[in-house]
Amino acid sequence: MSTQRELDDLVKAGYEHGFVTQVESDTLPPGLNEDTIRFLSAKKKEPEWMLEYRLKAYRHWLTMEEPDWAHLKIEPIDYQAISYYSAPKKAADGPKSLDEVDPELIETYNKLGIPLEEQKALAGVAVDAVFDSVSVATTFREELAKAGVIFCSISEAVHQYPELVKRYLGSVVPHTDNFFACLNAAVFSDGTFVYVPEGVRCPMELSTYFRINEAKTGQFERTLIVADKGAYVSYLEGCTAPMRDENQLHAAVVELIALEDADIKYSTVQNWYPGDEQGRGGIYNFVTKRGDCRGDRSHISWTQVETGSAITWKYPSCILQGDDSVGEFYSVAVTRGHQQADTGTKMYHIGKNTRSTIVSKGISAAHGQNAYRGLVRMGAKAENGRNHTQCDSLLIGDKCGAHTFPYIEVRNPTAKVEHEATTSKISEDQLFYCRQRGLTEEDAVSLIVNGFCKEVFNELPMEFAVEARKLLNITLEGAVG
Amino acid sequence: MITAELQKSWAASLLEGAAGTAAAPWLEELRGQAGALIDCLPPVNRKQEAWRYTNVEPLLKESFQPVVQRPSGYGGEAPEAIGPHRLVFVDGWFMPELSDTALLPEGVTAGSLDEAIAAGDERVKNRLGSVADPGEHLFAALNTALINDGLFLHLPAGVKLESPVELFWLNSGGDAARLAQPRNLVILEPGAEAVLVEHHLPGAAERYLHNGVTEIVLDPGAKLDHYRIQDESEQAWHLSRIALDQGDGSRYHGITLAFGGRLARTEYHGLFTAEEAACTLRGLYTVGNDQLQDFHLDVRHDVPRCSSREQFKGLLHGKGRAVFDGRILVAQDAQKSDAELTNDNLLLTRNAEVDTKPQLEIYADDVKASHGTTVGQLEADQVFYLRARGIDERRALHMLCEGFAAEIIEHIHLESLREQALARLRQTLGEL
Repeated sequence: MSTQRELDDLVKAGYEHGFVTQVESDTLPPGLNEDTIRFLSAKKKEPEWMLEYRLKAYRHWLTMEEPDWAHLKIEPIDYQAISYYSAPKKAADGPKSLDEVDPELIETYNKLGIPLEEQKALAGVAVDAVFDSVSVATTFREELAKAGVIFCSISEAVHQYPELVKRYLGSVVPHTDNFFACLNAAVFSDGTFVYVPEGVRCPMELSTYFRINEAKTGQFERTLIVADKGAYVSYLEGCTAPMRDENQLHAAVVELIALEDADIKYSTVQNWYPGDEQGRGGIYNFVTKRGDCRGDRSHISWTQVETGSAITWKYPSCILQGDDSVGEFYSVAVTRGHQQADTGTKMYHIGKNTRSTIVSKGISAAHGQNAYRGLVRMGAKAENGRNHTQCDSLLIGDKCGAHTFPYIEVRNPTAKVEHEATTSKISEDQLFYCRQRGLTEEDAVSLIVNGFCKEVFNELPMEFAVEARKLLNITLEGAVG
Repeated sequence: MITAELQKSWAASLLEGAAGTAAAPWLEELRGQAGALIDCLPPVNRKQEAWRYTNVEPLLKESFQPVVQRPSGYGGEAPEAIGPHRLVFVDGWFMPELSDTALLPEGVTAGSLDEAIAAGDERVKNRLGSVADPGEHLFAALNTALINDGLFLHLPAGVKLESPVELFWLNSGGDAARLAQPRNLVILEPGAEAVLVEHHLPGAAERYLHNGVTEIVLDPGAKLDHYRIQDESEQAWHLSRIALDQGDGSRYHGITLAFGGRLARTEYHGLFTAEEAACTLRGLYTVGNDQLQDFHLDVRHDVPRCSSREQFKGLLHGKGRAVFDGRILVAQDAQKSDAELTNDNLLLTRNAEVDTKPQLEIYADDVKASHGTTVGQLEADQVFYLRARGIDERRALHMLCEGFAAEIIEHIHLESLREQALARLRQTLGEL
């Protein structure tokens, strides 16, 4: 656990990642229409079919209504006040090595604690860093290429691997899926594409750092990960954003596809700007994440630690089509200040002997509102389907809220579904016990909260688990007492 | 899908059918407001969370004849009661000649709501419509817009009834399907105690719609045990809404056993208005072919130190469907609230289906709140255990189902009623 001093330093620092880098940007004026999309597509030199895909999505989006079923209070979003394209200025053909990357960008990553150089050497993690909308540097490409793994930006993939992109893009989250996913399909800026070929175990953890930088720029990431038969990949997603007094929209789409015997592990630490103490500003985070266990015995696991954003609307889901496929969802969501989170998962059991596990830990402090919303559906053919769901909520303070909205639909008698939920606060006994052993109240709370979240942290890759614990401590700093 | 137009025109046809019954001005106002509400209420279709799994479109395609007068008589026999206080209602109207109320203690009112209104009873005027919100949905508004008769039960302070008050809801047959839509008002003054038993039976009819609303006011320290056995005909539609207003230290103990109806929906709306009150809601439902049982609970802890327990269990067979939607809300100042919600379902056949949604909304930190849900089939181990002891498979199935259901039935504190309930359950199990 961090020492008190380290903790104090971190807290005094305010929102650590709150700075704005001065980089000349190639930004489209705010507004959205077909011309915006044509411009965007042309800018990225996209083929005709991609433009058609975007336009089809945009036309459908115009017919959709913004959803209002979530347990959230959202200021209306003006989609015409958002700029849909912003790219860091670069040399004509883009940088080929770190030396060619804008030094200011490198500086930004250094401030964030993810220097590319160091990361290359230290962690053995390949980073596809996304600065606003365009990937500026991709490392370890060659090493991955040796294993046959494709790890590149989605814009690149559109050019280089069009048949893969055409085949899988939108096959898990179709553009008609929901309002935000549809918007994303129309205007997605960039994102990551991963393809792990048959029988390959990806030699390293893949990771993307997201960064929202340009004022008034929504980010519309699109991530597509395909694990072919028997492949394995672990993907880490970490997010930070500079401090800003205006709501920023983020509507990402993540699609995972696991074929026979494939295994995908997707981990997220989300720490975007949550707004200030009065609830001003902060990121609106509307994300559609869905994994498709298409093949028999495939496995998809989602792990998320959500501490940031003013509003989180996010339901990483699994479609368990293949027989004996397994879906997992582990989540820690923390809301404090005036943060609101409506998050959870959906497990669609379609194949036989499909299993799913849901562990959701919600922590609410100050005025935070935290809702778990989950669906477990056992289809008529899901023989011997199993689900176990556990949602625990921890309340810190008397102004916050913790809510649980589970939906359970069972159409097969051999399926077994269990759901449990509890709501509690940190008990006086636990606190007393820790205090007795010389811990300060704050350290005691942090210890108890970390224990509460342990089941989820254990699912995270090691470096991420450390970061997540640190984040949690900082997030809850000052919330107690 | 049900549109606003369909909903409006369906309600309009019923309101038209009931037009021309004059009433006291205050009641006219209450009815009128509810009638006007119908036009503004959102349609009861899938898009509304409360109707997500319950399709009432076939119901809205049927036409019904509201019963605006006390039926002149009833062809059948009045069922036997377990105690001396029997109140019989036909098509929602109180039938004094079929009822026995002579042995009720002095000061206790148990009888027709219509008569109490006609007699200018202030207690009715003050409380009617104060507990159940007509704006909840179409059916609650419709019931209010058509208020005529139903039960009025009133116990003065400190009166403790020894025997249960037993209600029989019957239906008269006829060419047209009828709409029975009783409005019930139960008031227990401080410290009063009563046991209320309701039997919902087909009577002489096959096809009808029962759309009842019950308002229950429990003053400080009052206690009510409320048992409901819903055994409507296979062709019937049954909707009932029970709204509670619980005062300081009051106790409500409610059990609904739902066996009948093609579509039956029971809604409990619990509200604690003062501290230290307790509410337990329990239910057992069985569904078979072409049957839907639907339970909706909404329990609000608005004040500190109240407790609520909700336990519902379902046995599903054939192509039966069940819906369970339970919500417990603990408001910001309701510290020390204690709430527990469970829903367990046994699927006995291939095509049965259950949709369950136990929800917690918690805005206070010093509370105990939990919920649990299970859906599954009978454990093969348990069946094997019984088979190994020489019990045939069918019998083993019955024993296990009975054991499952007994957890609800055993909370009925009247022995003879408990036996009736078990007998009724065995009848359903016997058809398996």
